[in-house]
Amino acid sequence: MVLHKYLLIMKTHHEKLSVFLDLSVVLTAFSAYQLHGTGQLEAYYTTIVDIIGDQTMSEILVAFNTAKTEASSDQKQLEQQIRIHLLSNDKLGPITRNIIKMWFIGSWYQLPNIWREAYGKSEKDQTFVVSSIAYTEGLLWPTIDSHPPGAKAPGYGTWANPPKISEV
Amino acid sequence: MHLHPIKTVEDLQFYVATAIQLEHATIPPYLTAMYSIHPGTNKDAYDVMRVVAIEEMLHLTLAANLMNAIGGTPDLTQKGFVPSYPTYLPNGETDFEVGLGKFSLETIDTFLNIERPPLPTNSKKNNATSNLGLLKTQRTKKMLIPTFKSAEGDELHFYSIGEFYKAIGEGITKLTEELGEKNVFVGDPDKQITPEYYYSGGGEIIPIHNKKSALAAIRLISEQGEGHEGGIFDYEGELSHYYRFQQIKLGKYYHKGDEPNDPSGESMPIDWDAVYPIQSNPRIEDFENVLELKKAAIDFNLFYKNFLKQLTNSFNGKPDQLISAVGGMFRIKEMSYQLMRNPINEKEKTTGAPTFEIDLV
Repeated sequence: MVLHKYLLIMKTHHEKLSVFLDLSVVLTAFSAYQLHGTGQLEAYYTTIVDIIGDQTMSEILVAFNTAKTEASSDQKQLEQQIRIHLLSNDKLGPITRNIIKMWFIGSWYQLPNIWREAYGKSEKDQTFVVSSIAYTEGLLWPTIDSHPPGAKAPGYGTWANPPKISEV
Repeated sequence: MHLHPIKTVEDLQFYVATAIQLEHATIPPYLTAMYSIHPGTNKDAYDVMRVVAIEEMLHLTLAANLMNAIGGTPDLTQKGFVPSYPTYLPNGETDFEVGLGKFSLETIDTFLNIERPPLPTNSKKNNATSNLGLLKTQRTKKMLIPTFKSAEGDELHFYSIGEFYKAIGEGITKLTEELGEKNVFVGDPDKQITPEYYYSGGGEIIPIHNKKSALAAIRLISEQGEGHEGGIFDYEGELSHYYRFQQIKLGKYYHKGDEPNDPSGESMPIDWDAVYPIQSNPRIEDFENVLELKKAAIDFNLFYKNFLKQLTNSFNGKPDQLISAVGGMFRIKEMSYQLMRNPINEKEKTTGAPTFEIDLV
């Protein structure tokens, strides 16, 4: 009945979004500030719910809360628990990997066939770019200390200066 | 510090220092409104504001060129150079508030006030105490243009920004007549920002070496802002700032040949809701409970402070530094977006924004 208890706690959209943000921080190693800074939090959350449904999304958030409880603030333990409760889970694993890909690249990737056959083929489960700014806001670019080609250029002639490497 | 009638080159330098500060002071409000717009939406309104903001950067650079031409030192790093928002500008007999706020009708009204053309000369003569366009009125303390102290000790105020530039132009004419052009334009010509360092930024940069080029720069600044002789276009046939902003307010473009206040062009689609709900006139202390946001807001101010230092260097004999300083503006944009997407308070859904409290870092 653990699952039932957590579902009751996370009843509002805002509460769920906040847990999704916490989960994304662990999955991407970017801070909550940086994730908010992409402007994509709500867009990614809504995309997932649209495709897999509110119920499955809640299962992911509950699994994350379980992992957190079992890790009791130990970072290494938390990573281990996320592997156990999310990444190795047949149903939740592919979705979790999709969340990581979405944050870094800005696209939703169609779930694997084996998943679609087991858990249902949503019509919306197609590979697509989530929003008009999702690609340029992908975490891929700050990760490699670059900017998306054709966007966020650093200005005329700045290529003559040494690159500015940011802290991650 | 008070402004005095321009009698010496030092008086003129003080006016030009005020002009540099004034031109810069309009940029943070314009940038804040622009970056509060969700990227990809309100493209027309964004572009209108962008054109104006870039022309203000040209004006800033022209004012710096003028300062160098008359032997002064442009300095964007001194304490108080960036005003504490909200600050105040004169608008006839009253002041209006210039603050940092999101893209909204209220904000566009402020921008219209900033760029408002002066009234035709005959309609304000009754109140004006001198032909300089000065008024004897009670004014707000945090004014961007210092008060003017007359020979009799009266505190007077400029009627508008236009009158302020007119006084600079008249001062240049007077001083060159009295002292000779060579004794006014004593600056090092190598310090001028020339077109090779200033590219596609709201018009051609004018290197200033004499009275003619100085007056041309002042004319460009005044007319890009306020139009030519009360018309909606400047002498280059470009719509002045006031009427550019009015297009956003009225949701309609001007066409060539249109009369003021009556644009006849196609409509400009505006979505006032596609905007980040940023806090107006934010302060670092407002972010006390959101540590990452607070740190990022301080980082922004540090970056901006360094940016102003780079500009100051480029205006003081290292013009090549201007290119990388301008590159820094893209970083300012990205940092602004990040601040504006981060909630200060989940319940009220207000988000952060750059505070521009440069003196605090």
